[in-house]
Amino acid sequence: MFVIHTIDINIRGHICPSCLLLTLRALNQNGEALRAGTAEVVVVTDDRHATTTIPASADRMGFHTEVTRIDDGYRIRIFGGV
Amino acid sequence: MLEQPYLLIVVSSLTIGLTAGFVMHRSDFCVTACFRDVFLIRDFFLMRQMLLLVVASMVLFEAGRLTGAITIYPFPGFSAPSLGNVIGGFVFGIGMVLAGGCVCGSLFKLGAGSAASLLAVVGMLVGSTLYAEIHPQWSSFAKSTVLIEDAVTLPQWFKLSPTALLLPLAAGGSFWLFREFRAGRMDRAAFAIGHLAPWRAALILALLGFTSYVLIGTPMVITTSYAKLGASIESLFAPEHVKNLAYFSLNSLSYTPPFSDQAITGGPGPQLDAIAAIQYPLLIGIVGGAFFSAAHLGEWRLQWRLPRRQFASALTGGLLLGLAARMAPSCNIHHLWGGIPLLALPSLLFLAGLLPGTWLGARLLARFVIR
Repeated sequence: MFVIHTIDINIRGHICPSCLLLTLRALNQNGEALRAGTAEVVVVTDDRHATTTIPASADRMGFHTEVTRIDDGYRIRIFGGV
Repeated sequence: MLEQPYLLIVVSSLTIGLTAGFVMHRSDFCVTACFRDVFLIRDFFLMRQMLLLVVASMVLFEAGRLTGAITIYPFPGFSAPSLGNVIGGFVFGIGMVLAGGCVCGSLFKLGAGSAASLLAVVGMLVGSTLYAEIHPQWSSFAKSTVLIEDAVTLPQWFKLSPTALLLPLAAGGSFWLFREFRAGRMDRAAFAIGHLAPWRAALILALLGFTSYVLIGTPMVITTSYAKLGASIESLFAPEHVKNLAYFSLNSLSYTPPFSDQAITGGPGPQLDAIAAIQYPLLIGIVGGAFFSAAHLGEWRLQWRLPRRQFASALTGGLLLGLAARMAPSCNIHHLWGGIPLLALPSLLFLAGLLPGTWLGARLLARFVIR
């Protein structure tokens, strides 16, 4: 069975642009696994700005994103290998 | 003519503040991000929106001046251009990046429930109040480094009509922005509910600045109110000390507002005066507008969990912002949204300091704060 490793980043209340920088770090550290489709990064944030900047930056790096609203913010799933 | 100009000033300022706070929250229009993202992640998206705001304000202000809608030119609050503007801008650049928002950005984020921004605002109050302790020395330094004695704006310095300089700049800027729009670089996918495109926000904010200029006699200004509020709090504990500080006895604003034949005056001291009438409602409005926006979306919540490093960064950044806004004097909103569209020399010098300050702030943030 094929298992996708999920890297969770829970960033609420941080100063701007903590959310983007920590996500970029995770993408750089796990880029290979994301591209191979064996891992995904899931960011939970209450920073509205990050829902624009993270998808834009991930897109430039060749990843895909899905943004969904959750109870206390937004969930951004970043994945590759499609 | 209004015999009592304060009612118009307070109502206009509050309405403009409420609208600005709402718009900035919906669009995440953060001046700090406009500059910081250029250095931190080489992202020019928000800087394009800032240029749109400046060009739109340039056109509106000049059209207002030519048609007589704007009667005070340049608006009050500019000191003679000096090295103080550059150094103030430099420190301001560092501070706004460390605080995670500028004087205005921190207010709208505070309205949306950010505890980090509350810390930054507290830092700004402390920094603005501390400035009073060094004002005599700083003021002497600024006076001794005045670069141009008899001009506040570039057109005045060149002895040209403002239109002669502003028209080609606005035309060139508009053409460039038109091309950016056509290339799809002024918009990008957004997923936050109720999102307002930053280019729309830039145009609304330019219109608000113009409205403020027409009705009050100055575009949006806010930072003296931090010193004033700080002085009010300090005078509760040390009234004699506040009374003896030269800075808090200054009468830094004196002008006759539009629709009035009565001059109004004000200063950074704790008294309720013209500065309080102009700036307190704007400050309250920005926080209130952002609060309403966040609450309306069901997104308001107190966000108080943050790492210790960020706690320290927000407070330190706020302190530097408060100090720098008095040293410059005035903040990025006054200079970038008000002064640059008039080609005011102090604002151009502030910008010259702001850019390297933002670069250094971005380096410090990435190295020591966000880990």
